[in-house]
Amino acid sequence: MQLRYADDFVEGAVFICANRRRCGPPPLQIRRFHLAREKLYSILDPDARNTAFFNLQLEWFREWGLEKMLVGPADEFPLLRRMLNALVFRRARIQRDEGAELYVGPENGRSGVVALRIERFDRPDELACFLRHEFAHVNDMLDPAFGYSPEVHLPGRNAAQQRLTRERYRLLWDIAIDGRLTAASRATLGGREQHRVAFDHVFGFWPESRRNEVFDALWVDRQPRHADLLAIASDPRGLDSTHEPVPGAACPLCGFATFAWAGAHGLSAPTRAAICAEFPHWAPDQGACRRCVEIYRIVGARTPLAV
Amino acid sequence: MSAVYNWQLGREMEYPYDGAFPDRQFAFVFNINRCIGCQSCTMACKSTWTFSKGQEYMWWNNVETKPYGGYPQHWDVKLLQLLEQLNPGGQTWNGAPQALKAPYGQFKGQTVFEAALKNVSAEGAQQALGYLPTDEEWAAPNRYEDNPTGAEKGQKSRYFAGGESLPQHKTWFFYLARICNHCSYPACLAACPRNAIYKRPEDGIVLVDQERCRGYRKCMEACPYKKTLYRGTTRVTEKCIGCFPRVEGRDPAGGGLPMQTRCMAACVGHIRLQGLVQLNQDGTWKEDRYNPLYYLVHVAKVALPLYPQFGTEPNGYYIPPRWVPRPYLRQMFGPGVDGAIERYANPDRELLAVLQLFGKEQRICSRYEIKEGPKIFETEVRGKRFAMYNDTIVGYAHDGTKVVETTVEEPVHIRPDKHANSI
Repeated sequence: MQLRYADDFVEGAVFICANRRRCGPPPLQIRRFHLAREKLYSILDPDARNTAFFNLQLEWFREWGLEKMLVGPADEFPLLRRMLNALVFRRARIQRDEGAELYVGPENGRSGVVALRIERFDRPDELACFLRHEFAHVNDMLDPAFGYSPEVHLPGRNAAQQRLTRERYRLLWDIAIDGRLTAASRATLGGREQHRVAFDHVFGFWPESRRNEVFDALWVDRQPRHADLLAIASDPRGLDSTHEPVPGAACPLCGFATFAWAGAHGLSAPTRAAICAEFPHWAPDQGACRRCVEIYRIVGARTPLAV
Repeated sequence: MSAVYNWQLGREMEYPYDGAFPDRQFAFVFNINRCIGCQSCTMACKSTWTFSKGQEYMWWNNVETKPYGGYPQHWDVKLLQLLEQLNPGGQTWNGAPQALKAPYGQFKGQTVFEAALKNVSAEGAQQALGYLPTDEEWAAPNRYEDNPTGAEKGQKSRYFAGGESLPQHKTWFFYLARICNHCSYPACLAACPRNAIYKRPEDGIVLVDQERCRGYRKCMEACPYKKTLYRGTTRVTEKCIGCFPRVEGRDPAGGGLPMQTRCMAACVGHIRLQGLVQLNQDGTWKEDRYNPLYYLVHVAKVALPLYPQFGTEPNGYYIPPRWVPRPYLRQMFGPGVDGAIERYANPDRELLAVLQLFGKEQRICSRYEIKEGPKIFETEVRGKRFAMYNDTIVGYAHDGTKVVETTVEEPVHIRPDKHANSI
């Protein structure tokens, strides 16, 4: 596995180190670093100058142990070394942009890309926790047992539902990862309690007994699978397979999730006829949402009944 | 360290170099009461100077919404906290005001230069107390834009009874437009280990020598206003250059006369007035009664420096907003706030005329003259008599060329019945 760095990432990290007023590298080394750096300003070709800056800064990046801070947690995941062609580190400017991704290409093979804010180098313990968590994500993506697929097929879901599913999936995956790290006696950024609060917030529609059951299972699961997590995230209430008038289930006519079911048994004959003209297999027991009923009531009133 | 006189603090203070003052000093006044946060100034600067690769996060001019906004985020609060930690409860003002030498009394606390002496690490002392903002703090120049202060604690959904009435609102915000203050005692200059930052002797504009700079970012750490910015592509620091070619009179549009900067000229709210003021040997302002900046700062005393307690003697002055709680403004502009607002809210004849010069002309006005006109309006404002006269103010460039003539009352032009764009 080859380690690669974005030049602004290395430069930022080295400067954080050089600017540490307390517990930083010895002042003499900082002076040497600046003196070596100053000489590079005499290179006029911008590309050559960029390369020279990068090489110098990478040297100090290694000298001041910053590379070790990144490689240490990576070594805890042997699958990374075995299956990745490259592990790339780039700079994230804001917290939202931080994270790890796996890229697979025909030329470069598999590459793991970790984006992180350079300020994390100021807090080495937090950096290790963050990296361990992100590497665990990459590790899962590489692990055939996990069965990761980058494409989440959610047919018939609108953009909002898909986003909701992704958010639930992300939370479940984070819990599964931190549960495993905790079991391996590794420190994590988010503890069990913190994850539980987030879990209760996202899956608040479940009764507490169900929440306890699912959360505990996730926290202790040593071999979670992508498909299982996705199944919980995409259809937590098991509504996909039902067309009964359950709140939140899909209306059998329009297919949209609804919480406003109409009493289909009391429908007038013309309305029922209008529905059956388009949905011959529909039965009043399946129900219909209020919007559909309203539409078919109007359609039925316009269409004379066949005698 | 040398002892230099800081008239904004009304006392001598420590500075790493001896005082050296230009013939004329670049200075400006922003009237916060008029700023609508349209960012025209920001874009004028951006499109003139910082549109290139590597300057994406670089805003020499920015307009932030106070109290929550800031670029970089919380720049002022963070430094105030650092100062408070090093001198708890000691950042106070005292003493009687004294014209020109100590117009706001005397500052008893510690400046960034004095506080830095206490903050010694293995590496040695900083030249000026400061911190280097993180990437995240630089990432969003308009964070918290238009966010007012919230309701009272525990009463989130409650509206304040009478919260809208002057003189002070309980729910408030205001726009603070900022550029480099081209300070008389620049902290960036003091901190630069390469002596790459200098103050021009002809106009006091503070510049970074791009050939000497080696990207140490010490200036970014030291500048209390966080107005020096690092460019990753060239690996040097850049900052506001005070549009010096215009101030030198090299913009063809000025016909050879010094012109105000691009941000001043582009201001649609007419909140800005920029010029050059003459200085004494000790850095105090030379009496120049009819220079509009001298008048606003030292005669009418409506324009106040931004965070004078930092000690860099900034040359940017602000007419403070009338509706903001005074303790906040006193912290931001010093003890002159109450008097400044009192005079601005009840302007006399001369002040009303001088305020008309803001944004009327791009060329720098060095002297003004007022021709008295008739009384056109009289009323009572919060119990005080207010009379408005339609005086005419005429502004002259440094060589005596007339550059602007305007009246207090806006001229009315009645169009004829038939005109080109009649329907």
